[in-house]
Amino acid sequence: MTESTPRVNAPYLEQFSHQTVRILGKVRQLRGEQATIDAGGQIQVHLNRDAHLQLNHAVEIIGKVQNDLSVKVMASTDMGPEGNIDFNAVDAVVDATHRYNQIFYEKEQ
Amino acid sequence: MDYNTNNNYSTTSYSAGGGGGGGGFMPGSQNASDSPSGGKRSYGKDTLRPCTIKQLHDAIHPNPDAEYFLIDGSETTQITFVGQVRAISMQTTNVTYKLDDGTGIMEVKQWIDAEQQSGDDGGDGGGQERKEKEKVVEQGYVRVWGRLKAFNNKRHVGANIIRPIKDFNEIQYHLLEATVVHLHFTRGPPGELNDNSKGGAQNMNGNGGAYDAGDMGGVQKLPAGTSAAARKVYHTIANTPQSHEGLHVQQIAQTGGMEIGEVLRAGEELVGLGAIYTTVDEQTWALLDVN
Repeated sequence: MTESTPRVNAPYLEQFSHQTVRILGKVRQLRGEQATIDAGGQIQVHLNRDAHLQLNHAVEIIGKVQNDLSVKVMASTDMGPEGNIDFNAVDAVVDATHRYNQIFYEKEQ
Repeated sequence: MDYNTNNNYSTTSYSAGGGGGGGGFMPGSQNASDSPSGGKRSYGKDTLRPCTIKQLHDAIHPNPDAEYFLIDGSETTQITFVGQVRAISMQTTNVTYKLDDGTGIMEVKQWIDAEQQSGDDGGDGGGQERKEKEKVVEQGYVRVWGRLKAFNNKRHVGANIIRPIKDFNEIQYHLLEATVVHLHFTRGPPGELNDNSKGGAQNMNGNGGAYDAGDMGGVQKLPAGTSAAARKVYHTIANTPQSHEGLHVQQIAQTGGMEIGEVLRAGEELVGLGAIYTTVDEQTWALLDVN
């Protein structure tokens, strides 16, 4: 199903290259059209025009994983200061997503 | 009260109080009023299950007229989920939202309550509710409570309530809750899981990794955010042979190699969590073991 956007973090990027994923991470660096976010490791993202990332905020990105494991942003949602988000829970969700994928996404055979 | 009379009513759902006050009704009439709800599906049987949108698409509809769906083999009527609003379309009789929770996309319809709308002009309680609704915006996250429906081979959710998410942790909370409920129906309650194996679902919490190793089968999992000291005290009590009176603070400190003050603070935390309770005095604790 193309409609699902599995929640991943840095270690899962390789497994999901060329797929559309959802990443919830902390904004670490902003460099014009590029940014670095921290989600279980550093991830380079290529921003689109609508993306308004703020340093040290939590952001949810929907984007496509590129060959070099950077992520091209299709949509982003600011989730406020990173201290407001329990990242243990975020990691647990990523873990559950792949451990019990039957309720989250279809695994490609 | 006469027990013999009460026995006659024991098969009905009426309590003895009704019989005492009313001076007895005919058992036959009660059965008659009971039977419609027994034959037809009643709202009383409804459950509210947290789901992912993928589960809603995968749910089995036993027959086209069935009012319920099967998810993991369990009858499901009312559902709740959290998703991001992709589109809002105002119709004459309802508002249709397209919601995306990362596992799929689902249309959610909410009927427009004409009375409530006209009540807005008066501008009292209804007005506030209306304001609340206006906060549902595109790209925002919302929680939906409603009923899964199939219409012309297409599924949608008829929503009772749609509420914008204010604390984004609710997204994670919901997905984990949906996972727990899914595992409950596919693998049985967590208590049984503990007996079978230590691994599996327990590790998904991912908290306090160092202490996971120390978890004993059958010992309840402490909630995330429990301090390391409290976990240590908990495991010390769990793993030290003791009488029904539990363990004294001194003994816990000695066995666990901790400061008395630290043990006292940790104990207070655990009592607050309902994980342990005081026995012979304020400083002797035993595990509150619900199993």
